[in-house]
Amino acid sequence: MEDSEQINRFFAEMKKQDEQLEIPAFPAVKTRKISLWIPAGIAASAAFTILFMREPAPVEHVSPEVVIITLQEDENQNQHFIIEESTFLETWESPTSSLLTDY
Amino acid sequence: MWARQCCSFQDETAKDVLQQSYLKILEGRAKLKDESKAKTWLFSIIRYTAIDELKKAGKVVSLPTTYELVEICEETDFTDYEAIINRLPEMQREVILMVFYHQMTIAESAETLQIGLGTARTHYERGKKKLKEMITKVQIQQENGR
Repeated sequence: MEDSEQINRFFAEMKKQDEQLEIPAFPAVKTRKISLWIPAGIAASAAFTILFMREPAPVEHVSPEVVIITLQEDENQNQHFIIEESTFLETWESPTSSLLTDY
Repeated sequence: MWARQCCSFQDETAKDVLQQSYLKILEGRAKLKDESKAKTWLFSIIRYTAIDELKKAGKVVSLPTTYELVEICEETDFTDYEAIINRLPEMQREVILMVFYHQMTIAESAETLQIGLGTARTHYERGKKKLKEMITKVQIQQENGR
């Protein structure tokens, strides 16, 4: 033991000097929390990407298919043509219907 | 501290070695089979990681078996413990550090170094003798220098 005393003293002094050194800590293990958050994050990112990257549906501009021409008479007995454009026809009267009723 | 000692007291290399050792453990590349041997297991991981790291950096120099103690130069300070320890041959240095600094048994140091108990004991005895000689020499040099 006496034989090692000098060496023990040497290492005690060395340890004292080493106390000033900073030792990097072992990283904390959070594997479970990470494993739940990663897929959730990926799913959320994918949903946002789909939502915002999707092209907006084009607004359809319906071209008028029906032109309604009506002949109206004003208070001075003057006749005027009124031309309207529409996509549908509410009422339709055959141009020859008068033949059925008048004759 | 062991990482630093395995890297010839180079702080930055020791930090890298320690990080890589942590990674090996976290990724399950190094597995502890016997919990009673946790210390020797950890010391082994650090040692082998340090050897790999030094090899990569080209800092490993194989020593001849008849390696003789380097003469202490006059400038060596008694408080420069690292310089004194570094003058011991690698295996002797590692056994001595494990036994005296890390309070391990010679058997544990043999297990860490993966050598036989008899060989570890020889390294221990030779290392202790050489270290003692060096400490005495440095002390005498210091006293003469005053």
